[in-house]
Amino acid sequence: MQTKILLDEEQMPKKWYNIQSDLPSPLDPPLHPKTHKPIGPEDLSAIFPMELIRQEVTTDRHIDIPEDVREVLRLWRPSPLYRAHRLEKFLKTPAKIYYKWEGVSPPGSHKPNTAVPQAYFNMKAGVERIATETGAGQWGSALAFATMLYDLECTIYMVRSSYTQKPYRKSMMHVWGAECIPSPSTKTNSGRAMLEKDPDTPGSLGMAISEAVEDAASHSNTNYALGSVLNHVCLHQTIIGLECREQLASVDEYPDVVIGCVGGGSNFAGISFPFAGDKLTGKHKDVDILGVEPASCPTLTKGLYTYDLADEAGYTPLLKMFTLGHDFVPPSIHAGGLRYHGDSPIVSRLVHDNVMRAVSYHQNEVFDAGQIFARTEGIIIAPETSHAVKGAIDEALKCKKTGEKKTILFNCSGHGHFDMTAYDAYYAGSLVDYEYPDELIKEAIARIPKIS
Amino acid sequence: MKRIGFLINPVAGMGGAVGLKGTDSKQEEATLRGAVPQAKNRAEITLKALENNQDLTFLTPSGEMGEDSLKKTTPGRIQVISYPGVDSTARDTKIAAQRFLEEGVDLILFCGGDGTARDIFDIVGRNVPILGIPAGVKMYSGVFAINPTIAAEIMTKFENLSLRDSEVMDVDEEAYRAGELKTHLYGIARVPSLAGKTQVSKQVYEDSDEGRVKKEIARFINEIMITDVLYILGAGTTTESIAREIGLNKTLLGVDAIKNRKMVAMDLDEKSLWTLLRDGQEAKIFLSPIGAQGFILGRGNQQISPRIVKRVGIRNIIVVATPHKLRETPLLYVDSGDSVLDKDFGDSVQVISGYRMAQRKKIFQSL
Repeated sequence: MQTKILLDEEQMPKKWYNIQSDLPSPLDPPLHPKTHKPIGPEDLSAIFPMELIRQEVTTDRHIDIPEDVREVLRLWRPSPLYRAHRLEKFLKTPAKIYYKWEGVSPPGSHKPNTAVPQAYFNMKAGVERIATETGAGQWGSALAFATMLYDLECTIYMVRSSYTQKPYRKSMMHVWGAECIPSPSTKTNSGRAMLEKDPDTPGSLGMAISEAVEDAASHSNTNYALGSVLNHVCLHQTIIGLECREQLASVDEYPDVVIGCVGGGSNFAGISFPFAGDKLTGKHKDVDILGVEPASCPTLTKGLYTYDLADEAGYTPLLKMFTLGHDFVPPSIHAGGLRYHGDSPIVSRLVHDNVMRAVSYHQNEVFDAGQIFARTEGIIIAPETSHAVKGAIDEALKCKKTGEKKTILFNCSGHGHFDMTAYDAYYAGSLVDYEYPDELIKEAIARIPKIS
Repeated sequence: MKRIGFLINPVAGMGGAVGLKGTDSKQEEATLRGAVPQAKNRAEITLKALENNQDLTFLTPSGEMGEDSLKKTTPGRIQVISYPGVDSTARDTKIAAQRFLEEGVDLILFCGGDGTARDIFDIVGRNVPILGIPAGVKMYSGVFAINPTIAAEIMTKFENLSLRDSEVMDVDEEAYRAGELKTHLYGIARVPSLAGKTQVSKQVYEDSDEGRVKKEIARFINEIMITDVLYILGAGTTTESIAREIGLNKTLLGVDAIKNRKMVAMDLDEKSLWTLLRDGQEAKIFLSPIGAQGFILGRGNQQISPRIVKRVGIRNIIVVATPHKLRETPLLYVDSGDSVLDKDFGDSVQVISGYRMAQRKKIFQSL
């Protein structure tokens, strides 16, 4: 009974997969926040290196992974694919459950898959310093790790609620030589404005993005890096799904259901885009692709598909995506990495076009799933990841009812070693099941007279 | 140095053990039935825990209404302010409360039940924060600490406490003895609170500033109010803040109705509510959980009767409450007077708890 399916280092993908090449029509372009006209590469060049801008917009199907980047990724890649025998047995399901374990990277999540190439391309472009934001700290620690490898300075604006919830994420960033500041901070104009408006704000990814973008735009030696949402970030993460497809093929499997948790969408994109590509190109029309999000911040399930800002202050382009509004401050749930008002434009488009679907869950049921996973498979996972596990468990339980022997694949995106206070709160019964009052909001919106 | 008004209702709780469902005007009968005073013992648990707290000085009535117990636990820090007769009455409670008010105490700590809370509140209103050591038969009011030990804990953290609003409930004891629970929302007192400071650790940035959260809730409700829909606002400060947000004054304890951002009627009874709902008038009802137990319906808002609820529709009942209140009420209750209707509420409800923010809360449903 095989538990781990491993690839040799040589089998690590040499190219990323770009799903933009297989979309039936091009993505709606990002718009300039002031002029509302489509933006060009020059609008982004102040904060991104040209190679990443190219990757953001290209429709080439495959993009080479530089050998220097693969060299670093070898530290943990190819990551193992597990067959969750013990979880299956616990659930008494006829389904086969596989999970891709991304917690083996040094920072403990999938995030360095894009942090490393982003740092690399910035280094190549002669950039000396990178400013970024982080929600739960996974992205911040990943970029701290990656910038250290290429001798870049790194400043990280960390969402305040997470900064206090997870002090050791900050410590990790320090070990790798980065500076970590709680956001909103007094270091930027946008941060000061937000603090003035609400001194007690828990912060949000949208606010932290504004600060990091402002920092990058106002320092000539500094670029900005985003850990999710953007096309090139999703592109870099496709290495996860590409490996999975190989690993499953080696045991003569192809998934019926592919599942990931969704905040900005990058880990979900990572595991699912290669399979979504198979669906779009007709190779596997029936693969069911499922994004799982928190009921407190249900962007894909309850948001509107429209142009919105990617940040709070309005420095970023307008992106066509599912959004709850850029001024929406999600409640302080423990899955801090999923507290984002918007979503990757590509993931949004695919959900909108019914290539993928989404579900949402409350906090306590997600922790129930995390506990089941820890007590069957042994790994204590992050609350973000527990959303994917919850989705997988529910799919497996559906199979138990119908008797279907589906093959379920989910992305086990990171460990929860810095989330023990969240588990403590769960056991103390003090986790609040926040949700988004979408019906009231939609009802009110629906009755606003249309301006013709 | 904090000056605490302290009083014990020595007969509180006597009726309960002997089946009198309250001691109002039944003290003699309770004694005849063999009831033993409970309040003194309960109060002394709290006082004992405050023995070494040199920050507190106590103003109190003489004898069994306070002085006797304080002498045992915190001698040297007592100032007697009133002299009740041998058998203390509600009048003595009110006299003491009046003296506390004149002396400008920082807080009134009392030991008793709903009746005692009501008597004190009658005199001091919202001018002085009050905190109850629970010892009564009925404690539907939200002004009581969970137990005497927690009351002491709240007192020791006095410096860092925030104040919250809490309902003083008025239960009709005659009706209660006849097996009917008739409660009225009597008033809304100011109560020191632990939760905002200790139970919620600093890592959870939930707003402990009740007023601010209420404003956030009101801002959201204001945004989603639709033209020509009748909005019925239940009692309490959270629903009051909704009215204030749109520039209207609401009765604090009554049920009012708003339409097109104008006050239609105030302090409605069941019949007038029913009249407002005729001709297929579309309506929504905003309710906040009332009392210590967190009743959405059936405590202090009996005007919103089963037929009103059915006419409006359960899906148009919108529950609003601050995160703080929700933290203190693990379960919500519905007791509309129609048990089939109560079941229709299901086992959970969405509660609006901030701007575009809600929580899913469990409703207690008996099997």
